[in-house]
Amino acid sequence: MLSRLIAALSLLLISLVAATPSGAHGPTRQKITLTTEVPAAPADVWAVIGDFQDMSWHPAVHSTTGEGGNEIDATRVLTLGEANGPTISEVLYKYSTEKMSYSYRITDVKVEVLPVTNYSSHLTVRPGKDGGSLVEWRGAFYRGYPNNDPPENLNDEAAIKAVTAVYKAGLDALHARFSGN
Amino acid sequence: MPCMRAFRGIRSIFLGFLLTSPAGGPALAGSFAFVTNQNSSDLSILDLENRREISRIPVDGEPAGIAVSAPLNAFFTVSPESKTVRRFSLATCEIEAAAELPGGPTGIAVAPRPGLAFVSDWYNARVFVLDAGDLSRIGELETGGAPAGLAVAANGSWLASADRDSNQVSIFNLPDLTLRARIPVGERPFGIAVDPQGRIHAANVGTDDVTVIDPESTEIVATVPVGARPYGVAFARGRAFTTDQYADTVSVYRLTDFAPEGSIEVGEYPEGIDETPDGRLVVSTNWFSNTVSLIDPASLDVIGEIGTGDGPRAAGKFIYETAGGETPCRAQ
Repeated sequence: MLSRLIAALSLLLISLVAATPSGAHGPTRQKITLTTEVPAAPADVWAVIGDFQDMSWHPAVHSTTGEGGNEIDATRVLTLGEANGPTISEVLYKYSTEKMSYSYRITDVKVEVLPVTNYSSHLTVRPGKDGGSLVEWRGAFYRGYPNNDPPENLNDEAAIKAVTAVYKAGLDALHARFSGN
Repeated sequence: MPCMRAFRGIRSIFLGFLLTSPAGGPALAGSFAFVTNQNSSDLSILDLENRREISRIPVDGEPAGIAVSAPLNAFFTVSPESKTVRRFSLATCEIEAAAELPGGPTGIAVAPRPGLAFVSDWYNARVFVLDAGDLSRIGELETGGAPAGLAVAANGSWLASADRDSNQVSIFNLPDLTLRARIPVGERPFGIAVDPQGRIHAANVGTDDVTVIDPESTEIVATVPVGARPYGVAFARGRAFTTDQYADTVSVYRLTDFAPEGSIEVGEYPEGIDETPDGRLVVSTNWFSNTVSLIDPASLDVIGEIGTGDGPRAAGKFIYETAGGETPCRAQ
């Protein structure tokens, strides 16, 4: 589902995006929080998603390569969809086994792949209902178009929609994995 | 009327004593925070003494920049999405003036004595000079790329802008609006503030440090390492406090020798930071958590938290201290 989204986004090829100073962004940072209840103990869920170097639990991720394990400043490159698919480069900036939480930011992604800039994210497992888990995925980012008056495919709404789709696909897959369906 | 006012003052102090003392916090004589909530397009007015939101007023266009000016009895907001700057009365919280600006209006600072307001234009390397009364445009100052935070000297003799994409701070003489200096700083300075000694502190988001500048000699006094992605700077009790957006902390350093004094855990993505004029409280606005953290600058403890609207940014001077227990937004 996500690879279809990525393919669709890739089609909207972005000749509009002029060269801009690195890290430039639009005026308003966006944020989203998605959660899902998972019928498994937090430790079991963390065992699946708590390794920064292994994003294979997400259906859009074909492979993960990286350096530095789960240490601060560890890096990873996610290849999406297929072996030669688009990539997202990320760096880890917080990691806590105790809190079952890690935080990372994107260091490199094309806006055709994910229409965001200055993206940072947190993934956390908390105790849920009936011995289960609550998985929370939060993101903070600016839209893909760094200047005034963005085109529709790179505006705030497009950024929110794309990140929401990524999180939803991942959380849905986790839910399915632990529900046995 | 004077009797009424005195009575309200006493009651307010008494209430403050009752509410803050059991928590161990300092009692404050009427301090209020004006917090721009960018994602919900409104503004929270927080009673810092009684630790509650007393009013929330709509401010269209995703406001971020804020400048409270007690001498002008006004506060000013900047909404980059609708490109609008507004002036509100501190007494009533009603709009007194509004103006639409071209480009990307972002930060704001006020010089009460010449009666000027300055608004940075993120997209066009300039600062608009406005009449602080009716917000009419008087002129423009040329800055480096992507000017963000602005600060005015306490005595009104200069204006400084953090020119993010040029990695520099521009200083302009006031009131003659001439360039004094352009000073290279760390990478991507965004927030900027003036300490009690009159020095400029520019928070460099890209290099995780603060450049301290003497505006008279225009020389760099110090470069101080702080937490990840510092956005704003405030001062109290001989210390500086920075909001570290990616670390969810406020970093502390001494103003005498710039020695680091550790960091304080606050809410998520802290951005705006300001002090009460009496130096008894430092307040960070936590953009992701939708809260402000109240920090005791003497003990370096978080002594309270108040909820806000969605996405509190409060980029600029956002705290107002009243003398006699007066409450802002009386008409609300």
